[in-house]
Amino acid sequence: MSRKSFPHRASGGELRNLEQPGYYLGYSTLAQQKSWDEATKAVVRERVGKIPPIRYLSREQAVLLDAVIDRVLPQDDRAEGRTIPILSILDTRLYKNSLNGFRYEDMPPDREAYSLAIQAIEEMAQMRFAKSFVNLTVDRQEMILKSLHDGKPDPENSIWRRMPVQRFWVMLMEDCVTAYYSHPWAWDEIGFGGPAYPRGYMRLENGLPEPWEKDEQRYAWNTPPDSLSELEDEAAHPTHGSPHGRGGCH
Amino acid sequence: MAHHLGPMQTLPSPMRRFSENEAVDYCIVGVGSAGGILVQRLARAGFRVVALEAGPFWDTEKDWVSDEKGSHELYWNDLRITGGTHPLALGANNSGKGVGGGSVHWAAFAPRFHPSDFRVHSEDGVGVDWPMSYWDLKPYYELLEREIPVAGPAWFPWGDPHGHPYGPHPLGGVGAVLVRGCTKLGIRSVAGGPVAILSASHGDRPHCIYRGFCLQGCKVGAKASTLITHVPDAIARGGEIRAHSMASRISLREDGRVNGVVYIDREGKEHFQKARAVIVAGYAIESPRLLLNSACPGHRRGLANSSGTVGKYLMAQAGNVVAGRFEELIRLYKAPPAHALSEEFYETDSRRGFARGFAVQTVGPLPVAFAKQMVAAMGAWGWGMRRVMMDYNHWATIGVLGEILPWEDNRVELAEEKDQHGLQVAKVTFNLHDNDKKLIEFGKNRAMEIMWAAGAKQVVQESRFAHLVGGVRMGSDPSLSVVDKFGRTYDVPNLFVCDGSILPTQGSANPGLTIQALAARTADYLIKQGDAIFHSNRRDLTEPGIRYDLSPPYTRFKGNPRIA
Repeated sequence: MSRKSFPHRASGGELRNLEQPGYYLGYSTLAQQKSWDEATKAVVRERVGKIPPIRYLSREQAVLLDAVIDRVLPQDDRAEGRTIPILSILDTRLYKNSLNGFRYEDMPPDREAYSLAIQAIEEMAQMRFAKSFVNLTVDRQEMILKSLHDGKPDPENSIWRRMPVQRFWVMLMEDCVTAYYSHPWAWDEIGFGGPAYPRGYMRLENGLPEPWEKDEQRYAWNTPPDSLSELEDEAAHPTHGSPHGRGGCH
Repeated sequence: MAHHLGPMQTLPSPMRRFSENEAVDYCIVGVGSAGGILVQRLARAGFRVVALEAGPFWDTEKDWVSDEKGSHELYWNDLRITGGTHPLALGANNSGKGVGGGSVHWAAFAPRFHPSDFRVHSEDGVGVDWPMSYWDLKPYYELLEREIPVAGPAWFPWGDPHGHPYGPHPLGGVGAVLVRGCTKLGIRSVAGGPVAILSASHGDRPHCIYRGFCLQGCKVGAKASTLITHVPDAIARGGEIRAHSMASRISLREDGRVNGVVYIDREGKEHFQKARAVIVAGYAIESPRLLLNSACPGHRRGLANSSGTVGKYLMAQAGNVVAGRFEELIRLYKAPPAHALSEEFYETDSRRGFARGFAVQTVGPLPVAFAKQMVAAMGAWGWGMRRVMMDYNHWATIGVLGEILPWEDNRVELAEEKDQHGLQVAKVTFNLHDNDKKLIEFGKNRAMEIMWAAGAKQVVQESRFAHLVGGVRMGSDPSLSVVDKFGRTYDVPNLFVCDGSILPTQGSANPGLTIQALAARTADYLIKQGDAIFHSNRRDLTEPGIRYDLSPPYTRFKGNPRIA
C-alpha cells in the first residue's frame, strides 16, 4: 500500500476512475436482466435510470450532507458516471417521511434528527477549524466524523446532548448503506448474485459461482492509507461488538 | 388479470362480500400467521367470516420483487415508539402488514416448542406455566407440519423427537459452516430444516429455487405464508378478506358483549362491521394496542383488561448474530437463510448459572442487511465499510435464538403520538433482566466458539433481538392473564385473541409454527362450541378434539414420517 499523506482529496489511493471496483471484474448483474421477473426488472431499472431530485433538504443542507456522505461512504475510487446516488435516495425518504416502523423514545423524528445533525456538524467545523465543514480538508472532515462514530463529539455541541449521537450515527450509516448496496453496481463490486427469480441457484456449497457469475480475483484495493475510516488492524478487531449494537431483530 | 398467489396459484374469484350491516358470525382482525388459519377453518366449517387486514392484498407476481430495498412495503412501517434499557428495533424484521402478515417475510424456521416450554415455572421456577401441555398441542403441530408443510430431517432429536413430511433441503454454504463448527465441538446439529419451505412441489406450489430472498416475500411460492397456504381455501369456501382495513376500535354493547369492529379504509373513511363474535389476531403489538384503544365505560383501562395485564409480559428472543470471515468463499446469499440449527442448549442446565437456554441457527443477510450488521458488529464506516463489504462472499453468519423470560415491565402501552388515522401509536418498553443477560452472554460465546471451530479467521458479533410474542397472555388465572387456553378473553365472552400475543413464554424456538398450531386448535374449539359462542356466557374449557377434515386441499396425509 502506498503511503500518501493527508491532507488530500481522498482518491482511493492509487486506484481511481474505476468502472468497477471489487474483485469480480467483468461481472455484471444488470447483464442478467433477461433472467429477472418483470416487477423486479422495473424496480431495479428505475433505481439505475432515474435519480430523484432533491426535494426535502435545503440547498445548504444538501451540500453539507453530501460532503458527509462522501466521507462515511466514499466513492472517490469510482469513475465519474459510475458513482452510486446516496443523497437523493436519503432526501427522497425524508421528503416522503418514509419511516422504518419505529423511533427510539430518546430520538426526535427522523426529519428533525437530520436537520439537527447537519446543524451540529457545521457548528463543530466552525468551532474547531473556523471553516465550513464543506471546505475542510478530507482529514479534518474525517476527524469530526470519527468523533461522532466514536460517540465522543469533538468539539462538544449542545445538540448531541439533546440527541444521542450513536443513534444518529447508526441511522445515517443505515440510510447510506441501504442506498449504496441496493444498487446493481454495488452488487457487481461485492459479487452478489442480485435478483434471482425465476432462475434461482444451483451451486449452493463451497462458494462456487453459477455459470453466469464470476470467481473472485483478488488484488490490493488501496484506499487512502491515512484515512481514519479504514478498518483497524485485524488483531485489534473487536470480538465483542462495537458501541453501535442496536436492538434490531432478525 | 388474475390475482396471483405464487406463479401457479390464482385467487379464487369472485370473493364473497358481506354487507357491513348484516352481522357476520366472526370478524377477525388481522390476516397473518394466526388470522389466515382462523378464517380458513371457520369458513370451511360454514361460518360467515370477514377478516380485516390493515395492509394490501398482495399479488405476488406484480407486487413482490427479488430485491431487498424494493420489499420495504411488506413490513409494518408505521410509527411506533421504542424504549427501555434495550429498546427493540421494530418494523422490517418482526412486523408484517398485508395479507399473510409476518408469515410473508418470516425466514420460515418451523421447529416445535419443547414439552418443557409449557412447564417452565414447574420445572425451572421461572416465568409461568402454560394452561395446556405440549401433548395438547402436539396433534396440531403434526397437522400444521403437513398443511404448510414443513421440510426437514427425518429425525429431529430434541424436545419430542419427530420427523417431517418433506425431505431436507440441500446444504448451503452457511449451513455447512454451522454443521462443521458444531461437529468439531461435539454438538449435534441438523440441516435442511425444519423449515416451512417446499423441497418438492406441492399442489399448485413449486419447490424452492434457493435464491435466498425468503425475507423479501417468496415470489416462488415455495415458502409458506398464510397468503398462499390458507387464504385461497378460505376464499373458495366463502370467507371474505377485506384488505386496507385498519381496525380502530372494538365496539362493546351494554350487555358486556362485543358487536363488531370499527375500521378505517384506505381513503380514511370509517366503517363498522357488525359481528356476533370478534377475534383479534394483530400480533404482539397491534393486538394489545387495539384492546387499549378500545377502552370504554366499564373497561376504562382497555377492553378485556380487568387483570391489568394487557400489553404486559411482552417478549422478544435474544438474536445475537455472529459473523465469521473465512479464507474461502461462502456466498451466503444462496439457499434459504433458515436451513441448519442446533437445539443442544435449549433446556436448563444448572451448571450454566441461568434458567432456560437457546438455539443456534443459520441466518443469511443479503447485502443491505449485512452492511447494517457490519455497522453494529465492527463499527464499519467509510473506506472500512467498502472494504469489509468487498469480502461479503467470505462471510458466514449464525444467530443465537435465546429465551428471554416474561417480565411485567416489558410492555406495550399507548404513546401520546397519533398515526395517520388519528389513533394513538404503541409505545414498546423492553428491559433485560439478570437471567436474560447471563443467557445472552453464554449463548453468544458458544456461537462464537462454533464459528471459530468451523475455521473462521475473524469473528465478530452484533446484539439483536428476534421475534415478538406475549402482550395478551393466556393463563388459567383471570387475575394474571387476559385470555383462557382457547384465546377467549376472561372479561368479554364473545371476544377472542389468537396470535403470538397470547404466548405465556417463548422457548428458544421460532414462534411461527406454534402460533399456527394454536390458531387451528382455537378454530376447532369455536367450531365445537357452535352457536353457544354467540349467546352463552358459560365458559366451557373441555378439549374440542382435533378435526382432520378441515385441512386445505392437497394437504391430507396419514401422518408425519419419522425414522426412529
